[in-house]
Amino acid sequence: MIDGGWAYVWGAYGVALAALVLLTIAVVARLAHWSKRARELEQRP
Amino acid sequence: MQLLANPARFMSFSAWAAPACLVLALVLFAIGVPWALFFSPADYQQGETVRIMYVHVPAAWWALGVYTFMAAASFVALVWRHVLADVAARAAAPVGATFAAICLVTGSLWGAPTWGTWWEWDGRLTSMLVLFIIYLGYIALWSAIEEEEKAARLAAILCLAGFINIPIVHFSVDWWETLHQPASILRSGGASIHPTMLGPLFTMASAYLFLFGALAMMNMRAAIHRRRVEAARLRGSGA
Repeated sequence: MIDGGWAYVWGAYGVALAALVLLTIAVVARLAHWSKRARELEQRP
Repeated sequence: MQLLANPARFMSFSAWAAPACLVLALVLFAIGVPWALFFSPADYQQGETVRIMYVHVPAAWWALGVYTFMAAASFVALVWRHVLADVAARAAAPVGATFAAICLVTGSLWGAPTWGTWWEWDGRLTSMLVLFIIYLGYIALWSAIEEEEKAARLAAILCLAGFINIPIVHFSVDWWETLHQPASILRSGGASIHPTMLGPLFTMASAYLFLFGALAMMNMRAAIHRRRVEAARLRGSGA
């Protein structure tokens, strides 16, 4: 049996969760930007 | 699906479905991550490193699943020219690329203590790397061509051509001698891993799936807003 290994486990979870969080932030920010622009357009007379 | 091909109907559906999927994904991650890290058993051979499986395997499954979704959407875009099909394919690509990258990096972090190497040019690892490169190529193609209709058509063709790699990734462990172990869950005869490990694995896989649903819908909403803004700008400039 492989002894230890927790450092690799933490590394893998750190990379995976950081990537998913960054992706989510980028997608939410992009959506917020374009929906704001679309709202401004709708309010324009 | 047919109903959602209408942008207005899709916008009203995704206004509640995208945040609902995001909340569901967060809840499933909040359950799945502690379950995988602290409440699932260590493996009798792999020890604690087996826990990497819970982030690695769902990323691999959905990297393939998202690409299959993109290929289906590209086919629909090319054949039936549905208004939202190319938008859906494009919206899914960054999510699939991230899943493929997570799969490669976490696989490498598992391989180092288990195989004694970070990387091996074997069938499974190489075909997964090819999938990641196809994702990047697809995203780059969309960005490289200014005329959106032409970009959509070429990207759809690239996506369908790249689909040949999906069965190669899946069957690589059966077709070639590889360091990577054969399928242990999605195989005929049922899963060969212990049932106590299936709970956290399927929870994490569901979390990835709902996150994909949320992010793809949000990307589609952003693309529809962007198209409206750009169309208005063109009308405003008299083009």
